Order: sequence, then structure tokens, then C-alpha cells
Amino acid sequence: MPDETPSAPQQQTSSAPRHAGPSGPRPSGPGGARPGGPRRGKRNFVRKKKVCRFCVEKIDLIDYKKPEILQPFVQERGKILPRRMTGTCARHQRWLTVAIKRAQNIALLPFASEI
Amino acid sequence: MEDRLYDLIFICRPDTPEAEIDKLIATLQHSVDEKQAKLEKIEKWGVRRLAYRVHKLRDGFFVYMLLRSSHGELLKELERRLHVSDAVIKYLTIRLDEEIKRQQKLSKRRERRAARRPRKTATPAATPAPEQAAANG
Repeated sequence: MPDETPSAPQQQTSSAPRHAGPSGPRPSGPGGARPGGPRRGKRNFVRKKKVCRFCVEKIDLIDYKKPEILQPFVQERGKILPRRMTGTCARHQRWLTVAIKRAQNIALLPFASEI
Repeated sequence: MEDRLYDLIFICRPDTPEAEIDKLIATLQHSVDEKQAKLEKIEKWGVRRLAYRVHKLRDGFFVYMLLRSSHGELLKELERRLHVSDAVIKYLTIRLDEEIKRQQKLSKRRERRAARRPRKTATPAATPAPEQAAANG
């Protein structure tokens, strides 16, 4: 289930209708280094499919007592990173935010980093 | 009533002598025993860096406890004690049992699902590839 959701919108964006005209070179793939060069190839990059780290590692309980687990999901200034950046699934993101907020309350993670 | 599981973390000033922390833990232990609760785990994490300043302090001595209790009044009492104590700068109690129940349910479901359909992808994908390679070569 979580594998399907991120892939669907990406397919839609890559086959956007405004590129309908020069659709010839597209199916051959963005990786093809042809002599013509990437003329209108602004969009030909492959987006890496993100997967939920907690689903992969089969973690059902996100421990708020381990800040090193939570650290990658927090911005430098202390903001919680959104799902679209990290690829976490909805269920785990929900638990993750709770865990991060608990860690903040016991001074294991900053609310906002002080400079 | 079913027993509940709680996490209790408190942070002391880093310069408090260890004996005083032990004394504080002993008093907490005493009130835990009084309510017929069980102290399942107690860990002294030692002096750690705080993520932000608390009472103008940058470090703190962390103590972690895991307790099982059937009434919440005990937690009220423990929190009151921690609040009154001068050495303690921060504390947090968290009820855990419902989350653990949820986790067990999920892992059980995962096991069941794994048992229902055994691995099917790995073997058939691997076999045709060498044949093709042989035909080409």
C-alpha cells in the first residue's frame, strides 16, 4: 500500500499534457546522452522514490527517548520535516510527530535552536 | 483495573551530588511501594547536554524510570515530589501501555500476513535471466 501512493503523482507530472508536442525523445528515457544535448530538457530528471524508513525497518513504536532516531526528521532550526520531504508514511509520521514533541518536552530535542 | 505502564523521566541539576539523587530515588521508591505499584526499571543516564537551556543550565543529570501502577494517584504524588525538590529542574511522565498494545497488535498482524503468503517474487525472477543471457551469447 505505501509503495503505491508516492509513485502515482510522479507519473502524472512526468506525462504532463503541455509536453504533448515534442513527445518523441521522451520515452527513450532521460538517461540517454545524445549529441543534440538537452535542449528543452528542464524536466528530465528521475525522482528517487522515497520510502518510509520506519516501514522498511519495521518499527512499530517510535521511541522518543532516542533523539538520534528523531534527529534526521527535524530541520536544523528544530522544525519537524514534512512528509513530502522525508517520505515517511502517514501513520508513521503521526507517531513521529508525537515522539518528537515528547523529546522536545524533556529537552532531548530543541523547540528552536538558539544561536 | 488493568495495570498501566508509565515512563517517568526527570532531570536534576548537574552539580547535585550522586548521594542526593539516590536519596530522591529512594523516596520515590518508597511512595511507589506504598501504593502497591511496581518499579520495573530504573536507569541513570548520567549528565547529558540539554537541547535548550533550562533554569539557565546547559547540562542535566537524567534519571529514567519505568513503572507499572493501577492508579494514577501515584503519578500525581510522584510529580508533586519532583516539583517540590530543588534538585529537579524538569520531569515528564508518559503513559505507555496503550501504545505498546497497539504495537503488539501491529506486529502480530505483520507476522500473520507474512505467514499467509510466503515469498513468491525472488525465485521466478531469477531463473529466466540466465537463460536469456545464454541465448544471446
